[in-house]
This record gives sequence, structure tokens and C-alpha cells, in this order.
Amino acid sequence: MTDVRLLVQRFDPLTDEKPRFAEYSVPKREGMTVLDALLYARDYLDHSIALRFSCRQASCGSCGMKINGRLRLACYTQVEELGGEKVVAQPMDNFEIIKDLVTDLGSFFAKHKQLMPYVLRSDSQEMDHPSAEFLMKPEELEKVLQFTYCIKCGLCTSSCPTVGTDALFPGPQALAQAYRYLSDERDEGGKRRIDALDTAHGVWRCHYAGSCSAVCPKGVDPALGIQLLKRHVMSGKARSEGAEVWKQQAAAAPPLK
Amino acid sequence: MADNTPKGAERAKNKRGIWGWINPYHYNLERWAYAFQRITGVAVLAYVLGHLGDTSFFVGGPTGSGPSPSSWDFIGTIFENSFGHLILVLVVLVLVFHGVNGIRLILAEFGFILKKPSKIEYPYKAKGLGSGQKYLIWIGIAAGVAAAVWAFLVLFEGMG
Repeated sequence: MTDVRLLVQRFDPLTDEKPRFAEYSVPKREGMTVLDALLYARDYLDHSIALRFSCRQASCGSCGMKINGRLRLACYTQVEELGGEKVVAQPMDNFEIIKDLVTDLGSFFAKHKQLMPYVLRSDSQEMDHPSAEFLMKPEELEKVLQFTYCIKCGLCTSSCPTVGTDALFPGPQALAQAYRYLSDERDEGGKRRIDALDTAHGVWRCHYAGSCSAVCPKGVDPALGIQLLKRHVMSGKARSEGAEVWKQQAAAAPPLK
Repeated sequence: MADNTPKGAERAKNKRGIWGWINPYHYNLERWAYAFQRITGVAVLAYVLGHLGDTSFFVGGPTGSGPSPSSWDFIGTIFENSFGHLILVLVVLVLVFHGVNGIRLILAEFGFILKKPSKIEYPYKAKGLGSGQKYLIWIGIAAGVAAAVWAFLVLFEGMG
């Protein structure tokens, strides 16, 4: 069994002025992911390595980091696909480092919330006390489905060059989710959403570098969503017909038990 | 999120800054086009400002009482040599690439060269980075190189 050279970027705000690298030798096994290698190093070689992870199956979005220079999920990247000899693990760019590979995603989630990632409707009574499901036709679902696969790992936002210089830019994740709800047939928040996006630091700060889509591990394709969002904003259309469509569907649907 | 950093400890900012704009290493073709668009944008702006400045010499500069038309002749002599011609060839290259890539960006923002979102299957292939707009990047590069070759032939004709 050969070993893999694992270089981990270390940073402790209590003792370090700037990040440094530490090297570990990890026994390689078939099917080993970068997360496996990091956990081996943490469990058997150096307990002080800080990293964030949970599901180990690319569903929770916790283990996003820069691996051999590219933004990836550690649990979704096999050591073998990197050449099998050397793995360099660094925290995601453009987020403050709390410790080692753990970054602060606070502003990331705040921006996500700022763009209202939920269906907005005028019939608040029905929202709070629904008499039926909010139905959606399969072809309507298909328009937004890929954007619903976002696991909020932060890789797209970390890769965005605009995020690196503009702290007020919402970033590709939040903007893609804004498109997801803006194009949802049941949503009536069009004007509110567009007002939140069509600003000096809003959607127009995206210059279509496309790295968000290139690094997304779930095929969400934020770059596509953002360009379509721009078209939507330019068209000046704010959805209001959704309510009527939904009322018709609700009338035809069986009541909730 | 609450900041749990111990008192007196400084977090690492970790922002890529302008370096993230101009360094597309490890990224996709569109990111390279983005970096070149930024760099060529600055180059074109510098050229246009310089050109506005030197053509104003005809009328005595911005104030009307500044440099004389002879200054314009002096500027001309700077570019009347091989190095100056190479600079102009480069200007043609970046102008044409910047223009064609700019048209690509406008078309993408209007959604003309992008496919519609749909059901996706593994292995995921981003439609936002589809072939239609990629062709336009290569067309921009090819048009820039072709224009630069043409400018080279015109400028260096008779210099040999």
C-alpha cells in the first residue's frame, strides 16, 4: 500500500499571523476520497486539524474546499482522480477562515435569505392556512428543477471573481435561487424580487465568468440562471398571473386531510 | 452568524481581490474569456484616452493653448518604427477580441445563445457553459488573430 502526500493549509487565529501548510503521509486505499484522507490525518496524525463535514455523500454541502487548486467537495473527490500522489487541501476562497479548512459562511447564508428563497404570494391567509397543496404541472417543475438541487455548499460563490472584490454582491448561489423562485409559476413576488436584484451591486455585477457552473457539484448551473434572470429583469415582467392559475388548480385538487 | 473568534485573534480575510479577476488558472474557458475581457478592456480604455489626448494636439490640447500640432507629429514618430507598429498590432488584436466577446456577453444576457433549464442527469453538463457561446469565444480569438495578421501586413509593408 502506497502513501499519499496530504498538504493541509493550517491557520489558527490564536497563534498564526497567516496561513501555512502542514504535510501528512496518509496510507492510500482504493476508493479513498479526499475527506477520507483528511479524516485519517485528523484521527491518527494530528487531532488539531479543523474541517467541516457531515453526510459524506455530496448531499449536505459541508465539506466544500479548494483541492489541488480547484473548488470541490472533499467527499465527492477521489484521491485517485487527482493523480493519487499529492493532495493539497485549502479552505474555500473569498470566505473568512475561522480555522484551517473551516470558513465562515455567515454572509453567504445571509445573502441567500436576503433574496427571499421561498414562494411569495398575495393570499397570505391561504399561505398560513392552506386549503390545498400548491400544485405545479410537471413541465412547470422542469423549468426550475435543476435550481432546486442546490446544497448551499458555497463552492460557486467562492469561485466567483466578483465576490472576491464586491462584498455587497449576492453571489451566484443567491442569484440562482432568486431565478428559481422568480420563474416559479406559483410565485407572485416578481416586483419585490426584481427590486432586490436590480441594484448597483445586484445581478448586473455578474459578468458571466461561468466558474460557478463549472465548479457546481450538483449540476445547478448558476451561470445559466443568472443570465436568464438578467433577461427577466430586462423584460420588466413581474408575475401576477400566478394567483389565478393556482386558484384554478386549487379548486380542482382534493382538500388536505 | 455569531463571531466566535477568541478576543485578540484575527481571522484570515482570504479574499482573492483583483487577482481573482485576472488569474483564471484551474477554471473554465469562459473564465479565461472573462479575464481577457477585463484586461483588454483596460488596454482599450488606455488606448482610447491616449488617442483622445494626442488628437487634441491638433487644436492646442484640452485648454486650446497647450501642445501644438507639431506635438502630434512627434507622437507620430513614436509609432513609426517596428516597436510602435507591434503595439498597434496588439491594439487591433485586443480591440477585435474585446468587441466580439462583448457581443457574446450581450447575447448571453438576453438568453439568445443559451439553452433552457431542464431535468438534469449525472454526469452533469452545465447548459450555461454550452457550445453556442463557446464558439463565439473561439470566433473572437480567431477574428482578433486574423485582424492582427492583417494589421501586421499593412503596417510592416515596405518596412523590410
